[in-house]
Amino acid sequence: MKKTVTIFAMLAVVFCIQILFGTDASALQTVSAGISGDTMADLMKLWSFTGFANLHYQNLIMIAVGLFFIFLAIKYDYEPLLLIPIGVGIMLGNIPFIDGYKIGIYEEGSVFNYLYFGVTQGIYPPLIFLGIGAMTDFSSLISNPKLMLLGAAAQIGIFATFLGASALGFSPQEAGAIGIIGGADGPTAIFLSSKLAPQLMGAIAIAAYSYMALVPVIQPPIMRLIIPKRERIIKMRPPRSVSKLEKVLFPIIGMLLTTFIAPSALPLLGMLFFGNLLKESGVTERLADTARNAMINIVTILLGLTVGASTQANVFLTMDSMKIFGLGALSFMVATAGGLLFARLMNVFLKKENKINPLIGAAGVSAVPDSARVVQVEGLKADPNNHLLMHAMAPNVSGVIGSAVAAGILLSFLLDKM
Amino acid sequence: MSFLFVDSQTWTITLLGWAIVLMALLFLVGIFLLIPKIIKWGVKRSLRNKGKDQITDDHLAISGETNAAIASALFLYFNQIHDEESNVITIKQVRRRYSPWNSKLYGMTNMDFRR
Repeated sequence: MKKTVTIFAMLAVVFCIQILFGTDASALQTVSAGISGDTMADLMKLWSFTGFANLHYQNLIMIAVGLFFIFLAIKYDYEPLLLIPIGVGIMLGNIPFIDGYKIGIYEEGSVFNYLYFGVTQGIYPPLIFLGIGAMTDFSSLISNPKLMLLGAAAQIGIFATFLGASALGFSPQEAGAIGIIGGADGPTAIFLSSKLAPQLMGAIAIAAYSYMALVPVIQPPIMRLIIPKRERIIKMRPPRSVSKLEKVLFPIIGMLLTTFIAPSALPLLGMLFFGNLLKESGVTERLADTARNAMINIVTILLGLTVGASTQANVFLTMDSMKIFGLGALSFMVATAGGLLFARLMNVFLKKENKINPLIGAAGVSAVPDSARVVQVEGLKADPNNHLLMHAMAPNVSGVIGSAVAAGILLSFLLDKM
Repeated sequence: MSFLFVDSQTWTITLLGWAIVLMALLFLVGIFLLIPKIIKWGVKRSLRNKGKDQITDDHLAISGETNAAIASALFLYFNQIHDEESNVITIKQVRRRYSPWNSKLYGMTNMDFRR
């Protein structure tokens, strides 16, 4: 008994020395070799397989990041459906292990690697888009189509970040993948980065989802800065009723038009509009129900977990990741400002009775439905009787279309060069 | 040639890319501004064929609020519908005449013994 306690005490000391000074545990193996021969060798083998023996301080940092994500999701309710799977994924991806035993997400043949296949090959994002299409009501957009332009205006964030990333020395493909963070659309960001810059996908996905979760923190100061109080209280006309025919025509025309313009975004736009047609046709309720509930939930779990697990410390904690996080924050701000300024510009040309509340421009950044909720909250702060949610959903869903089109255009420009 | 640390090709992609996104959505805006007009024209035409010449744009343009009011009224109406009852109350004859529950003995209140 005394002998066993001594052995474990020595192993604990080895572990502490390794953490504090970075000494290799094998250095002390020779010292303790005389203690018990084979037993010691077996224990050392067992020890070498444990996470403690392979631990690096970077793993601890990433596990802390994962815990922080879970904390944000539970305490502040920031996108919990995404942040909890991602947070758990980050922790799982950073449990230290010995390479070569098909454990890690980057090791071919491992379970996580199989699940990650859906991310690397861009399978999950279109399935998510199918679910989004099946749960999105485009009627606010159809009733006031000019609000669609706000969704286009906010995409300036994507292209401004593309410029910024190029100026910081990223290759055109990497810059394009980083730029899409400004689209505030996780699946689109993963889809584009898996095609253009797979090596940066973990950082891009984490940045995109983190900033999407932080929309209620990032957007309000910009909204208050750009939109004066007198414009924040503008009351918009209630949207007109939309006929079923228009609702059915929207996904069909939208699909044909956008995919003809940007065929590279076919998987995203095709699935988005297909999902919406399932919903609006009224005769495929079972399929629409599966797409917007069971299927999107399954894919969200797999996507969140594997994207989180892809952030292994050795590939994630790099200077490039830091730059990507900085550029991501910038792109969200530029996108929000772009939407707001364009809304103010539109008001110059609109008649008095048709004026729009410029706050809804901020919803053009996609991030459905969080940015629309932020608009509603800010609108209520300015005027407790002014409900903007319905109006904000129009630029919000057009932002989804706009960011997918932008992704397709970037793919068309940049895939040729590979 | 480069401008602000970025080469001309990157500038081209940026400006052209954003312009294409804007144009794509502008097309959609145009189409969906046009579609309600076409639908309205079609409805008017079919009504005119049925002899209803008095139809104006105001008759066809029902606001979302009006629709919401109609929808909530219908919802309330259908929620309050119950099964049709005859409203005739009947008492069914009991075959077994005697039951301890209608026995006078069991129904009497036990009074305290008074001295």
